[in-house]
Amino acid sequence: MKKFWRCFVCNDIHYGVKPPEICPTCMAKNAYLEITSEEARKVSSITQTEINKERFLQTIENFAEKNEFQVNPDKEKVLMLIDGVFNNEQNQGLKYCPCRLTTKDFVEDLKLVCPCNFLIHETYKDKKDGECWCGLFVRKKDG
Amino acid sequence: MFHGRECPHCKNMMPLVDKLERETGIKLEKLEVWHNEKNADLMRSYREIIFPVCGGQLRTPTFLNTENNEVICGEVEYRKLKEWATK
Repeated sequence: MKKFWRCFVCNDIHYGVKPPEICPTCMAKNAYLEITSEEARKVSSITQTEINKERFLQTIENFAEKNEFQVNPDKEKVLMLIDGVFNNEQNQGLKYCPCRLTTKDFVEDLKLVCPCNFLIHETYKDKKDGECWCGLFVRKKDG
Repeated sequence: MFHGRECPHCKNMMPLVDKLERETGIKLEKLEVWHNEKNADLMRSYREIIFPVCGGQLRTPTFLNTENNEVICGEVEYRKLKEWATK
């Protein structure tokens, strides 16, 4: 089961089954402590950095570049989705997918934060023209 | 019909919903869920019915017939939408 971990040296937050041995931010060794989701939320809200829509698009394009998928070439669709992601962050606190409603279970709803793990979803997995549920990411033609 | 304002699938389905309403006289209640908490809670209250059909999630668009609990989610062809509405 995934849990939240906080580096006690630099407050880096990790969400996973086990903590990283070396903190990727401050390089401290064995520095992670298990914390509650509430603490993770508080720490991340203190240290949150501003990221605008253009930077978000650039970030997901960079993320997709090294993978078997790409950001949807349909720019109009992408801009609509990014608007939704940012509106959800403003209204609901996190960059939730605009095409799936939250359940009000904070940990469960982390699965809806964009980009989600769509590689395991039936709309993508084993599909030649696979895409994430909302269509922000699509499989590369040769992917 | 539960839909999201910034959901492209929902946007694509709207002309089909209009066509359905014109052709059959059936009126769908269109409830936006990301900017209306009351609608969101209503959708959440149907999770037991929606989850098995929609991959264990509250996906948009979701078409729910509260009379027979028939559900379809996502973009579908007009024929399937009409079949659902007239069942």
